[in-house]
This record gives sequence, structure tokens and C-alpha cells, in this order.
Amino acid sequence: MSRRTLVAAVMATAVVTAIVSVSVTRITGQSSRPARTADGKPNFSGVWQAINEANWDLQAHDARPGAVTQKSAYPYVYAEVPAAPVLALGAAAIVPGSIGVVQGDGQIPYTPAAAMKKAENAAHWIDRDPELKCYLPGIPRATYMPFPFQIVQSTSKIQMIYTFSNAARTIHLDKVAGPPDDTWMGHSVGRWEGDTLVVDVTNFNDKTWFDRAGNFHSDALHVVERFTPITADALRYEATIEDPNVFSKPWTIAMPIYRRLEPNAQVLDYPCIDFTEEFMYGHLRKQQLVKHWEGETIAVDITRKVPPGERLFDWYGK
Amino acid sequence: MRKRLLQVLGVVAVILAVIALLKVAPAGGASPSPTAKTAWGDPDLQGIWTDDYQTPLQRPVKYANKAEFTDQERAELDRQRAAILRRNQRVEVGTERDVAGAYNAVFQSIKHTGKRTSLIVDPPDGRIPALTADAKQRADTDRAFRLALLQATETCKKGDPACAGGKYGPRSPRYNEMPPFYNTGRLNRSNGPEDRSMMERCMAAVLPDFTGYRRIVQAPGAVSIFYDVGQGQGWQRVITLDQVPHLPSNVRQRFGDSRGHWEGNTLVVDVTNFSPKSDFQGARENLHLVERWTRTDAKTLEYTVTIEDPTTWTKPWTVKQEMNRQDEQANRIYYEPRCHEGNYGLPALLSGTRAEEAAFAAGKGPDPATKDSATDFGTEGGVDALTGGG
Repeated sequence: MSRRTLVAAVMATAVVTAIVSVSVTRITGQSSRPARTADGKPNFSGVWQAINEANWDLQAHDARPGAVTQKSAYPYVYAEVPAAPVLALGAAAIVPGSIGVVQGDGQIPYTPAAAMKKAENAAHWIDRDPELKCYLPGIPRATYMPFPFQIVQSTSKIQMIYTFSNAARTIHLDKVAGPPDDTWMGHSVGRWEGDTLVVDVTNFNDKTWFDRAGNFHSDALHVVERFTPITADALRYEATIEDPNVFSKPWTIAMPIYRRLEPNAQVLDYPCIDFTEEFMYGHLRKQQLVKHWEGETIAVDITRKVPPGERLFDWYGK
Repeated sequence: MRKRLLQVLGVVAVILAVIALLKVAPAGGASPSPTAKTAWGDPDLQGIWTDDYQTPLQRPVKYANKAEFTDQERAELDRQRAAILRRNQRVEVGTERDVAGAYNAVFQSIKHTGKRTSLIVDPPDGRIPALTADAKQRADTDRAFRLALLQATETCKKGDPACAGGKYGPRSPRYNEMPPFYNTGRLNRSNGPEDRSMMERCMAAVLPDFTGYRRIVQAPGAVSIFYDVGQGQGWQRVITLDQVPHLPSNVRQRFGDSRGHWEGNTLVVDVTNFSPKSDFQGARENLHLVERWTRTDAKTLEYTVTIEDPTTWTKPWTVKQEMNRQDEQANRIYYEPRCHEGNYGLPALLSGTRAEEAAFAAGKGPDPATKDSATDFGTEGGVDALTGGG
């Protein structure tokens, strides 16, 4: 074998190796991650995030001026203006519109009694949504809250680590029996159906919600999730929700979830237990920061000092 | 030409085969490591782990020159410790002291005595190194404030050890002051959540931690550890193995920022960026840890951590703990951290104090400052022969 042959062979090997590497490895930002794990499954390890408005409302909806609104000069619902708790935030408090994530006709099949409770929940969102208290978000809501979450995928366990409330869950691919009591995040048992990770989630309590629109469930909730790769950096998430106490039939949400491609993407601390103490216990302080009470109601006085030189106010007065 | 092409292809095949073989061959060559490996070839630390034995963090003074117990001594300590009734001796049922004790022996598992007399292996005396002059002053300032708030209580009147260094007297004018540092312990005051301990606020967990259970799940490039600790105060961390620098120094986290890498069979983790709100033995945002996790056999995970903070201790110190693998089915329950979701204690403490203040103002009750909600009277049922006197 001549030296030229050897050089050619080495070069050809380099090319072949490079091609093979490209086909199995994607530079995803979170170093280079193979598209498949050592045992041949799709590789979901990494930091992911849903990019949609599902946490506001699973269903299609208009934009709204704020998460809490009040009637204005006009009686129409679409003419409402922000209410005090969010007024000082201006456009930063606007609720974005959405095409919705509920599959089929876009409707959630509530029983008549449950539909009434949903409407009531929506009207009392600020008092009832467990998210506001930093409670564990439950499944599927943890998946589409507007924060990154991390998947650490092993052979017999998959750990999912969520930003919100430092929540986490273990998906057991090896069929560990469920806990003897209910839970916030559910008991997750997974299996592979081809390239789809199917997770059966049970043992829920009745305390979590699906979104900020008051969509709720009972402790009979049963969720079947499906994680299917679209590309190495995007997957399709589907969750079928079943709860005979609340819904007349199972229904399904679906959305893409995207890989966070920053090379240093990581799930950061979200210390909401600490940060919600004022919201939850502020009224029990010796010296309350919120000073204005009307009977049993905390009335929030919105104060915003206009800085000197703010043109709009200079021109048009107060 | 055709012959040369075949030759080239043949050599390519050989080289590829060699590459393939190199990829599947275990690291370290001919002698495969006895340590378990994951499917992708990393050392396998996965499972549920806890320390099955009771070993004090610091070596009790009475065992100053003794690093390890004999088996006979361990059996004798087990016998003595099992006889301690602890908080089941509730002679003062219904009193303030009983309520402050809160939990009886049902909540206090007693594990078998461990082999070593301290978890600390360096310094060799098994004790936390001396505080720096600055840290000592911080500790004294903090202690003085706590004692001032205890001053009007029975605890100080009776000369209880909890009041050591303090005195009994009327309510201190310091009762209206802000604490000298962000408070993480129990103050004898409940003006707001910040006066109460991190335990009462459901934020007691710290890193490093030598209690509770861990569940480790690995992937290439990341190690996830869930800590089931405290009273439903568990927490989740992810150690990235990617070669990325630590977070910017202005980003501070309760459990710091972890960066790991493999050194042979050992996971080495560097932890920085702690928050001023996290408190480990007096160290806060300047805490720096170097952890080493090694699977030493099928059922043992060795954890060593070197703890450093030049603003707190005069030198670094090292803790070593052997953790034992736990059965997956038997330990499947209750790892969900739900302390905050069920925290009725904190609002009750605050609202109870407001009621006491109202009663005092109306001349219908004692000054709340004369009651002690800061002292843990938990050891009154008997002193643990293992840790007592240390």
C-alpha cells in the first residue's frame, strides 16, 4: 500500500466520520447532544420551553388589558380596563391572545356543574389560582408555564426539573408502584412507543389548575402525555386529560416544545416561596405594608410617582 | 485506479472498525472498573441514597482523641440511645414550653450509631475550624440581638441554657429594632415572616446537606439530584457537566450554582454563587464547595465535600459521608416537597401573636415579649449519648 493510498484512506475516513457524526450529532447549544441515547431512544435531555399562551388560557382567546379587569364607561366585556392589582404595570400586564392548544373543536367538555365552577374560578382568579401562591403546578401545567424546564433522561428514570417553584418529577420507566396518597405533581410511569415517550400520570390531588383561566380538575384526574421528536431541537407535546368528575369525555391539548439553544442554558432558581410571603401573609404583619382595608377586602392603593421631565405629563397635566 | 479505490475503502473500513472498537472499549483499557457504568459509559451513581447510620457532624468533646468506635462501643451506644424517651416525656403538656417542643419521638427516628465519631474528617480533630475574627464578631452581634429579644421571658428568668450570656429583665428596647443581619433562625418575635426561621418558612434546606434522602438520575452531560430533606422541604438541583463557566457573580441562588466533571469514577462538583439568604453554619454568599461523589461498591455512595469561606472560617474543612442504597419500592412515597402548600404554622404564628398583642393592649393578657417562641426545648426528654456534651 503506497503512502498516497494511506493518506487518501485517512482523508476519506475523516470525511466519512464527519458525515456520520453530522448525521447523529446536532450542535444544539447545550454542548453537542446526540439525537439518540446510548440505548437508541430519542434524546430529550436538555433544557426546553413551551412558547405559547397556554398558561393564560388553554383555549383560544382575545388579548385582554390585564389579568384582572373592571368595567369602564362602556358596559361591554371587550371595553373593560385593568383593575387595581395590575393597573400600575401598564402594557406589561396585558394578557396576550392565543390560538389555543385544545385539540378538535377547541372546547373543553365540562359537565354542566363543572362549567359553572370554571366560570366562577375565572372570576375569582386572583384569589384561587394556586400559581399565585407558588404551589406545585401539577401536570400538565408545569410543562407549558412560561419558563424553561430541564429533562435528565436516563435508562430507567427520566427526571423533569421545572423552574416554577423548584418543582420536579421522576418518570419511572421501570414501573414503580404509586404512592398511597395523592400528590400535586402526580405519579408518572413512562414507556416508549417507537420514538414517542408515553407517560401515564395518576395519583393527583384536586388542588392544581390547568391555567390562569380557572380550568380545573378533581382528584380523579388521569393524564396521558406523549413526547414525540419533531427535530432534535423541537418536540410535540400532547396530553390527554380524563376526569369523569369534571369532564363528560377525555380531551387533548397539543403544542410544540422547543430546546433552549443557548450554550449555557440552565434552569435558574425561582424562589417563589420566599417571594409570595407578602402576598400570602402580608396582612398578618405587625406593621402591614398594605395599609388600606375595607372590611374583609385588601384594597391596594396604586401609587406611581411621575418623574420630572416625563413629557406626556408636562404637556397635558395630571 | 479501481484497485487503489478498493485499497482505500479497505483501509477506511479498518480505521472505522478501530474507531468503533475504541468507542465501545471501557475507559482505562484492559482491566474493566468494578464500578457500575451507565449505558453511555459514565460512572453510575443513580438510585435512592441515604446514610443509614447516625454520626454527628462534629466530634463530641468526650471523644476528642477517638476517630472511630469499636463494634462493642457502637452496640452499647445503640442500647443507651434507644432508651432515651426524648420528647415523649411531656410533663408540661399544654404549656408554652411543650408547644415550642412541638414534635415528640414519633417524629425523631433514631438510627444505629455509625463507625466514625464525626462526619468531619478534616481538620483531623473532627471539629469545624475556628471562625475568623470578623465572623466571630458577626456571630456575637447576632447572638446579642437574639438574647435581647429573650430577655423578658421565663427562659431567662429560670437561667435556661438557651439564655446563656443573656440576662433577665424588662422587655428590651431592641425589641423594636431590625435584626443586624437577614434572619434565618428563630427570633423571639413574630412581627412578620422574616422574624421566623427558615424551617418555619419552609426554606430550611441548605447545601451541603447531610440528612435525608437523595434520588440521583443521570444523563450524558447532567446529573440530577433530588433531596428529600426536612419536613417536606425537599429540593431539586441539576449539576451540569458541560464545560460552561459559573453564572455571573451577581446571580445568586439558594443552593448555589453547580458545575461538575468526572475524574475517573468520581463526580467532582464546584459550587459557588450562593445567596445571602442561604445560611450554612454561618456562611452565606461567600460559601464555596467542592463535592466529590464516588460509588465505592454496589450499595455505597461516598460523598465528600470541602467547605470553604475565608470570610467565615480560618481554614477549609472537609466532611465525608457514606450513603447506602435504598430500595426503590419501599421508598417510593412522599418525596414530593409540600411544606409550603400545607404551611398553616407560619400564618398561625403571626396571627396568634397579633391576637396576643391586641389582648395585651386591652389589658387582658401578658406582653407577648415575655413568652418564648424562639427556643427549641426538644432535648429536655434526655440527652443523646452520641452527640450530647459535644
